[in-house]
Amino acid sequence: MRRIAAALLLGLIASAPADAQDAPREAAPRSSGAPMIVSPPSGAAAKEAEPADPSLSPECRVPGSQLYTLAQLEAVKAAILKKRPVRVLAIGGNAAPGASATYPVKLETALERAMPNVDVVMEYRGLQGEIASGAAERLRSMVADVEPDLVIWQVGTHDALARVELDAFTDALTETVRWIKSHDIDVVLVDPLYTASLAADAYYTSIVQSVRTVATNEKVPLVLRYDAMRYLAGRSDKGEGHMLGQQFRLNDLGLRCMAEHVSRAITLSLQQPDATGSAAAPPRETSGTLGAAVAPPRP
Amino acid sequence: MREPNAIDFWRGLALVTIFINHVPGNTFERYTYSQYGISDAAELFVFLAGWSIGIATRGRDGTPEPRLRSVLRLLSRTIEVYRAQLAVMVIALAMIAGTALVFDNPLILEWHNAGGFFADPIQTVVGMVLLTHQLGFFNILPLYVVLLGIAPVFVLIARESRLLALGLSAGLYLASLVEEWNLPSWPGQGDWFFDPWCWQLLLVLGFVLQDWNRTSGTLRLWSRRLFPLGIAIVVLGIVLSVLEIRPDPMLVPDPRLLFSFDKTYLTPARLLHFVGVLLAFGPVYGIIAPRIPLIVGYLASLGRNSLAVFSMGSILSLGGQLLRFRTGGGLIVDMIVLAVGIVGLGATAWFVEWRGRKVRVAS
Repeated sequence: MRRIAAALLLGLIASAPADAQDAPREAAPRSSGAPMIVSPPSGAAAKEAEPADPSLSPECRVPGSQLYTLAQLEAVKAAILKKRPVRVLAIGGNAAPGASATYPVKLETALERAMPNVDVVMEYRGLQGEIASGAAERLRSMVADVEPDLVIWQVGTHDALARVELDAFTDALTETVRWIKSHDIDVVLVDPLYTASLAADAYYTSIVQSVRTVATNEKVPLVLRYDAMRYLAGRSDKGEGHMLGQQFRLNDLGLRCMAEHVSRAITLSLQQPDATGSAAAPPRETSGTLGAAVAPPRP
Repeated sequence: MREPNAIDFWRGLALVTIFINHVPGNTFERYTYSQYGISDAAELFVFLAGWSIGIATRGRDGTPEPRLRSVLRLLSRTIEVYRAQLAVMVIALAMIAGTALVFDNPLILEWHNAGGFFADPIQTVVGMVLLTHQLGFFNILPLYVVLLGIAPVFVLIARESRLLALGLSAGLYLASLVEEWNLPSWPGQGDWFFDPWCWQLLLVLGFVLQDWNRTSGTLRLWSRRLFPLGIAIVVLGIVLSVLEIRPDPMLVPDPRLLFSFDKTYLTPARLLHFVGVLLAFGPVYGIIAPRIPLIVGYLASLGRNSLAVFSMGSILSLGGQLLRFRTGGGLIVDMIVLAVGIVGLGATAWFVEWRGRKVRVAS
């Protein structure tokens, strides 16, 4: 029902099935390296024939392997099991007309829709500056101020714009993620956006890659915004050649979908069985309760 | 045009430092003193603004000008700063949008907080005029508008009692730290980057100390006696910042802002460090001024025209950021950015003074 309602809302119900089938099986090789932690529903191995995740709105459908890597979210689980509201701190802004202003609202809605029995309390903050110099410090103050269960962090854009040294960025990100986790707060990272004009920029892709490496090493879920937007770019290519239009609309679409993409990565991460993490969290007998709170992935 | 003096010199140095620090990632950033202490150039800038108010609201012989004139003077300055902030913001947004268009790169629209404007201009343009929407690196002037706006209260109280003015200011500061009072950002959530209720203490401190310094030698005597303490604080600041030692804001006791290092709230650690810097560097101008007259002349000219120079510096530093991003940075680009900045700031100061002379001759 909810899905139908959502589709109706988007006015795209008629085109939905066609869209899902016509989605090009674009090769879009993932930039090298970064091993996936886990990649349900179908795993990285099935990448070639992988269909777009059908639980998403038609316009936002991206195959799981190009949308997220998953990991445990212990603090959020604990909050859900205690039946208390989940406090979420969303950090980082974006610039699509109509998308940015509503991103926190959309995210809250998407999370509450995916987890019908859970109350999500959303705080949203812009974070200026580079995490390699100063912004990481302000992030700590924000976290101390809000005391969330989960931080959803769009990271890397400002550092990429300032072209800070890659190592300095990676170190600062690692240190900050560790700090957040050390206070029993979960983190979901969102890597920088995709734009065709930077597709060949080695520095930019190395920043994107660095976010992935840190997410993998520190075992935090990651929303592959770069890959997802690139996938959507390939799909929505109508061959319009005029200056600016296509890029800017793509940006718009990619960002409109982001709340949904982030929500999907979180709900799937919450369904991760506790034993999968190599950090071997103690198994909980209560996972049944959690399963009831989190809607199962729709076929 | 007044002769170079210590206030203008230090203010000029703060302006150049702010310019360099506002091109993040550039090679020369690591050679600014901001990297080697808990406080930075922003503290110096606001403190000296307070000191200057003290000078501006009295005659040369120290007699205070009429109350109404002081109030109007500060009001007029507030309007000037407000106007500068609006102009600088519009130019900055146009630079960001223009660069994104020319290079077909929407990423640039996500520049520090600029995204809000492009995503939601209807609310954000209102926020810009209300000063509740600020671009990253463009937050000092809104602070300054509020500080100058409330300065008349403290100036008039200080005419009756300096201690009362300072006490009120410190009380507001402490209450804001404990209660975390700040002005809100809007649209969006969060607060101002510089909390005016905390930073006003620095302005009032500058103002009161200037007045005290004018009327008695006690301040000078004690700053000489405390010079070693200043050196110790500066050394401690260098050690802490180089080793990146600072309290964990999640672990400090409540109220946490009394203990953490936080620029937004000018927390006590930053304030103490800044006082240490004042004590340690107070005597320096007298020693170096005769040796480097050209540099002193240049920096003092910036300091005399701080609003115009700061505004131009904001725009030049944004230009520097965009250029670094486009070219990928590197030492050559950074040297160009620095050179353009230093010449541009100097030319701005020269132009403002030239225009001032023209106006005076014409009228």
